[in-house]
Amino acid sequence: MTDHAAIPPSGAGDAPGVARRVAAVIRRIIGVPDYEAYVAHVRAHHPGTEPMSERDFHREQLTARYSRPGSRCC
Amino acid sequence: MPRWASVLLWTAITAAGAGALGYLALTRGEQVNAAWLLTAAVCTYLVGYRFYSRIIAARIFALDANRATPAERLKDGRDYVPTNRWIVFGHHFAAIAGPGPLVGPTLAAQFGYLPGALWIIVGVVLGGAVQDFVILAASVRRNGKSLGRIARDEIGPVAGATALVAVLGIMIILISVLALVVVKALQQSPWGTVTIGLTIPIAMLMGVYLQFIRPGRVLETTAIGIVLLIVALYAGRWVAQDPALAPIFTLTGPQLAKWIIGYGIAASILPVWLLLAPRDYLSAFVKIGVVVALAVGIVIVLPPLQMPALTRFIDGTGPVFAGKLFPFVFITIACGAISGFHSLIASGTTPKLLQNEKDARFIGYGAMLTESLVAIMALIAACVLTPGIYFAINAPASIIGTTAESAAEVIRTWGFVLDPAQLHQLAASIEETTLLSRTGGAPSLAVGMAMLFSNVLGGTSAMALWYHFALMFEALFILTTVDAGTRVGRFMLQDLLRHIWAPLGRTGWYPAVVISSTLFVAMWGYFLYQGVTDPLGGINSLWPLFGIANQLLAAVALCVGTTVIIKMGKARYAWITILPLVWLAVVTMSAGAAKVWSSDPKLGFLSHARFLEAQLAAGTMPTGAKSAADVARMAFNDRLDAGVALFFMASVIVILATSIYEWVRVRRGTATPSSEVAFVARVTS
Repeated sequence: MTDHAAIPPSGAGDAPGVARRVAAVIRRIIGVPDYEAYVAHVRAHHPGTEPMSERDFHREQLTARYSRPGSRCC
Repeated sequence: MPRWASVLLWTAITAAGAGALGYLALTRGEQVNAAWLLTAAVCTYLVGYRFYSRIIAARIFALDANRATPAERLKDGRDYVPTNRWIVFGHHFAAIAGPGPLVGPTLAAQFGYLPGALWIIVGVVLGGAVQDFVILAASVRRNGKSLGRIARDEIGPVAGATALVAVLGIMIILISVLALVVVKALQQSPWGTVTIGLTIPIAMLMGVYLQFIRPGRVLETTAIGIVLLIVALYAGRWVAQDPALAPIFTLTGPQLAKWIIGYGIAASILPVWLLLAPRDYLSAFVKIGVVVALAVGIVIVLPPLQMPALTRFIDGTGPVFAGKLFPFVFITIACGAISGFHSLIASGTTPKLLQNEKDARFIGYGAMLTESLVAIMALIAACVLTPGIYFAINAPASIIGTTAESAAEVIRTWGFVLDPAQLHQLAASIEETTLLSRTGGAPSLAVGMAMLFSNVLGGTSAMALWYHFALMFEALFILTTVDAGTRVGRFMLQDLLRHIWAPLGRTGWYPAVVISSTLFVAMWGYFLYQGVTDPLGGINSLWPLFGIANQLLAAVALCVGTTVIIKMGKARYAWITILPLVWLAVVTMSAGAAKVWSSDPKLGFLSHARFLEAQLAAGTMPTGAKSAADVARMAFNDRLDAGVALFFMASVIVILATSIYEWVRVRRGTATPSSEVAFVARVTS
């Protein structure tokens, strides 16, 4: 199974959709996790649990990112 | 592609690469164009990727598209997220590419362009990219476990503990030497100081905007940040041209060091959303942007290399750093050829993102080849300067004196020409008061980049802007390593301190956070301050220590890789990691021994300490010292540096010994089994 949930699917020739897709790619490259993909995952795999709010999600991800060695290199 | 076409294509690439390498190696006495260097590098990378990395992918790990990856099996939408290979490549490259591949090759240019170039090209194909790929694949097969965990599980607890302590030691030396590079670059430069200083409030503004005004709008915020960076660039020029303001921002080394130390503490204590995260976003964009711009600039200009293939300094008498070609070119250039630090990233976020095992080759091996290309470009940018200018910028004042005329005199005795008027003119064109002894590598790289960029866009009148833009880019790059590294170091320290007193380990308890942050910053701050006040420039003693440390971590990673390969039953292919491992062991041990015990006071820490004390006893005050207390402090620092080098050497021995013991146990059949996760087929839907 290939999961492309990280990138919202775009309609052909749909400019805002393409822009969203490009933005999602850039965000992933600079290390910003995709909140929409996370929500989609929780809804699909953990029915009954409420996903974290967007603010909580980003806060949790940032805390994790700067607490392990290897988030940065020389 | 039909088979004959493929054979033809690869024969052509191999021939082009071999031809370019041969031309580089054999040409003497005439100027070589950068195109030869680029051709040699790119063709070697392609051949290495196509043929050498295939051994690891197919023969050793037998990477299998049908095997479910941790991202699929443990998918949680947060850490484990199956991701497109190009996105993972971009993310991985942005994480591994730091200032190391820019600074190391610039310093190593004192030997001429050839030694550095050959080591970068050969080292990456047989060493650095192998390490990154093997560790990534091993971690993917172990649910994305970290290097330290894999070392403990596969080799044993002693190896695991050594890896942890080594990482902490490396962080301290890494941060101090990088902070030193920034101090050296900003010293006496009001324009640079103001521009870099402004990046801090810009980041905080972005942080507040992102947290309260437009939550989640990362790209919009970053775009605003980039516009503000350009404003900061012009603001710096405005301050530097103002006779009343300029002196306020013209800071000495020790002053700048204190500011950076304060910044490190702040970055470790403040919430990450306020400073660290927005700086990271900015830095990631600027990083990728400048790397692409540098590539475009070099390809358009195709500059001739002014530096000779080899200089007389291969005999170890070089002014930039002491030590002979062997082993010091292999220590000075770590990142770009082989960087142990990458093994932490290859066993960090990246393995949790792969959607297909086979992507590990493209991401692990491929991203490292790209970093190596960055190192080659940095080498080219350093070699577009004439040797006279290069040594005037990179040699410390204790060797070339403090005027352009004295520098020209000394540099002439080395066989290079420096016209003092030309140096003054260059300094004026970049709007700096002087370029003499701006050691650390960053200023000479920025001059080289400004020459390339202004050639493409803006002409000579744009030199000053390009120079300060390049400097800002380097400093932004470095400061994101200093701040994030300090925070990570603080967490690691808290993890150790909690064994002494449990509350010190609480990451949310303010006193514990302040104590551990201050303690960690004090550790690197001490080395930074020592480097700033060192009359020989500091880089001379700290950069080799950093190189040894980074290669030590690479040795740890290659020991882990070899053990993983042997435990997979693929011992007959273990030479692929043993080859670079043996080389690194030889290099780190001989460089470490030279730094500790060499009888040449320019090279050996211990003999330098004795030399200082003998001078004092004979009644002469050593350069840079004002009192007997100064001399005592300098001698103590030498002995401390010797102790650090000895510690790194001892770690190499421990990790080698425990690994070899484990390999023998595998042969005897008494080893702990491999911790590889059993095959799970990919669920096709």
